[in-house]
Amino acid sequence: MSMFSQNPLMNGPNYSFSETPRVGAPEGAREHRFDPYTDNGGSTLAIAGADFTIMAGDTRLTSGYSINSRFHRKVFKIGGTTTDQHDAHLVLSVVGFAADGEALMERVDAMCKMYRYRHGRPISVKACAQRLSTILYNKRFFPYYAYAILGGLDEEGKGAVYSYDPVGSYEREQCRAGGAAASLIMPFLDNQVNFKNQFIPGSGEGHALQERERRPLTRQEVEVLVKDAFDGAVERHIEVGDGLQMMVITNKGIEEIILPLKRD
Amino acid sequence: MDTLVARYSRPAYQQENQFDDIEEYDYAADSVSGPSLKFAMPPVAHPSSWLRAATDDRSNPHCPIKIAHGTTTLAFRFQGGIIVATDSRATAGNWIASQTVKKVIEINSDLLGTMAGGAADCQYWLAWLGMQCRLHELRHKRRISVAAASKILANLVYQYKGMGLSMGTMCAGVTKEEGPALYYIDSDGTRLAGNLFCVGSGQTFAYGVLDAEYRYDLTVEEALELGSRSILAATHRDAYSGGFINLYHVKESGWEKHGFTDTNPVFWKTKLEKAEFSNVTSDFSEEV
Amino acid sequence: MDHRPQAWGRPRDDVYGAYDGSYLNHGGPKNATQSPVVTGTSVIALKFKDGVVMAADNLASYGSLARFTDVKRLHTFHNTTILGYGGDVSDMQFLSRLILQIELHQDYELEQLPDIKAQRGQEVMQANNLFTFLKKQMYHCRNHFDPLWNQILIAGFDDERKPFLSSVDLRGTSFSAPSLATGFGAALAQPIMRKYADTEEQAAKLTREEAVEIVKECMKVLFYRDARSLDRYSIAVVTKDGIDLKENEQLEKQSWAFAERIKGYGTQTV
Repeated sequence: MSMFSQNPLMNGPNYSFSETPRVGAPEGAREHRFDPYTDNGGSTLAIAGADFTIMAGDTRLTSGYSINSRFHRKVFKIGGTTTDQHDAHLVLSVVGFAADGEALMERVDAMCKMYRYRHGRPISVKACAQRLSTILYNKRFFPYYAYAILGGLDEEGKGAVYSYDPVGSYEREQCRAGGAAASLIMPFLDNQVNFKNQFIPGSGEGHALQERERRPLTRQEVEVLVKDAFDGAVERHIEVGDGLQMMVITNKGIEEIILPLKRD
Repeated sequence: MDTLVARYSRPAYQQENQFDDIEEYDYAADSVSGPSLKFAMPPVAHPSSWLRAATDDRSNPHCPIKIAHGTTTLAFRFQGGIIVATDSRATAGNWIASQTVKKVIEINSDLLGTMAGGAADCQYWLAWLGMQCRLHELRHKRRISVAAASKILANLVYQYKGMGLSMGTMCAGVTKEEGPALYYIDSDGTRLAGNLFCVGSGQTFAYGVLDAEYRYDLTVEEALELGSRSILAATHRDAYSGGFINLYHVKESGWEKHGFTDTNPVFWKTKLEKAEFSNVTSDFSEEV
Repeated sequence: MDHRPQAWGRPRDDVYGAYDGSYLNHGGPKNATQSPVVTGTSVIALKFKDGVVMAADNLASYGSLARFTDVKRLHTFHNTTILGYGGDVSDMQFLSRLILQIELHQDYELEQLPDIKAQRGQEVMQANNLFTFLKKQMYHCRNHFDPLWNQILIAGFDDERKPFLSSVDLRGTSFSAPSLATGFGAALAQPIMRKYADTEEQAAKLTREEAVEIVKECMKVLFYRDARSLDRYSIAVVTKDGIDLKENEQLEKQSWAFAERIKGYGTQTV
């Protein structure tokens, strides 16, 4: 057991030279004990299709065991010319600490507007994704407690989903779930969107079994999938429920769909 | 105390403008700046202790912010250039955050970096390094050497030593002057040149295979197979490694990608066709 | 950075010192340097057909001591917006001063610029605008680890002249709902208010009289069970005609008969 302890005197790696680096943690008093973070629960989900992207989030906002609001958005249109975002082409979802998430959203939105003003055209989802990464990383030492997902259509008109960790590492993916129920939704998505662990029945025995061929899902299929994913999450996670907010991004614009979820 | 007095003794009409000192946002700089060196800091005496409390998922599995971690990466020099191979799993605590991470970072068409430790740290600073390399090319009208590039990165992370960065990266490139050049840089500020490195939580398992089979005069095919096999061993024994095997070959003409291959079929192929991994049974019908 | 495989990439104790989770502590007895001192308890608010009702009692507690019994925690802005403060009273006074400055400044500007006055009408800032300002203020202070230790409810009308009700707390977390309550009210009053106005549609059917009645009932329940509450309270109604603020209401028709039936917790034979 001591092999795995973190006691540097016992066995951990030690510096061979005498002047060890300054120890960061102070002894005794420290001026602040305010915890700037809290978790407002909820979950988000994004799926990219062949010519569309669907971003979704539930609308419950919790703190601890109490439900503060049953209709609080965590999926936002960004990059439009005005505050009502009628001509927006990107969608950002944030989950975790709501105040950080909204601050992040406002910042990315301002950046997109600035880009439009300077370049005379809307920002591409790829460029916005890269910039969002650096915005998050600029708070590397005082992170935004927010799991962000950015959705839009790429230069070829294909659905694009970019997912982030709180300090800005990012990746383009087919689908991603974030927040409280990510661990419930993500395995479902692996199976239903990427057909993971699905095999063609009767195609062989044991290792000879052939994987089911992947095909892009249609918009109708994805909408049903999103609803099913959230219905499942609501059933098994206390911080998820009340309403489902869905943004469907196509080349015709962004359509918002609100559906009810269980409110218990 | 003086700041306190100053704060509350301002004339009332000034108190309205609370955000004058706002650190947050420079709209003008926003749309032009790439990776910068300006960071928001928590207003506490020991930012690194504070940051650790919030983000160290190993010491405190319930810490609020979980940063993507965990890896096996390797790179080695041989007569035909450099092989770079990685797994593709990112973990946040016990949660597998992703199985499809691109841990080989294409700094430019000639240089590769690898990602181990904090995913964001590696992505950001290697992107920043790419920028520095391009600036070097523009200033000096020739490609940067791998030695110089790796030193830029090592010097940079050394400035941030003790602040909580976590990265273990390898810079690989082949230049006319240096031949195949491989450097290991980590967030402690270490920078080492070498023939062969494995980095990450699965490093020991990869070393086991790589050291046993490594020779400088490997053929390209043998070298690619060895890189892949070493990662496979690590994904098999290290729970924090897995997903896909990402394989690259770096030559003087630039790097070449050799696939992003699912480990699972490769594992069974290795076992069934080469009779390796005999610790694992392939017969599901009988109790073992 | 730790290089041992089992902790690869994590901070090393001998470099960063032992892990100190106390940075993450919520509250607790050691919470000495930054914590509320004189505090107000719940604020509750409920939307109705053509406005919002808000109420809070007039008590400022010093720990468990009922220290000041005539502290008004409902404030107004421009006769269009009500602010209800829960939490630290000194921070409330600081914010109130700040908001008064804005109010005076705007009034002054409007007098100076009759064109703008004619263009925008009398009120420049609606409740939602003031709310955005407060949200930024609170988030800004939390970013400096110097929070204003309050939860604030803001009621009035938005730009579209619809009833508006939102909340912001010491971390800058903000949200809105047909009914809102801070502190104990979230546990005791919210369920009652949600019974009548669970959705915006339901709230839009409530009359002023019904809403006031529900809120008064909630204040009574809070007084029964919240040990830091008082039976003297303020209640304010904001409609398009302005604010009707009563600051010295007394809880009426209290019935403590339920207390007789309380036997305490667990299995009891008597």
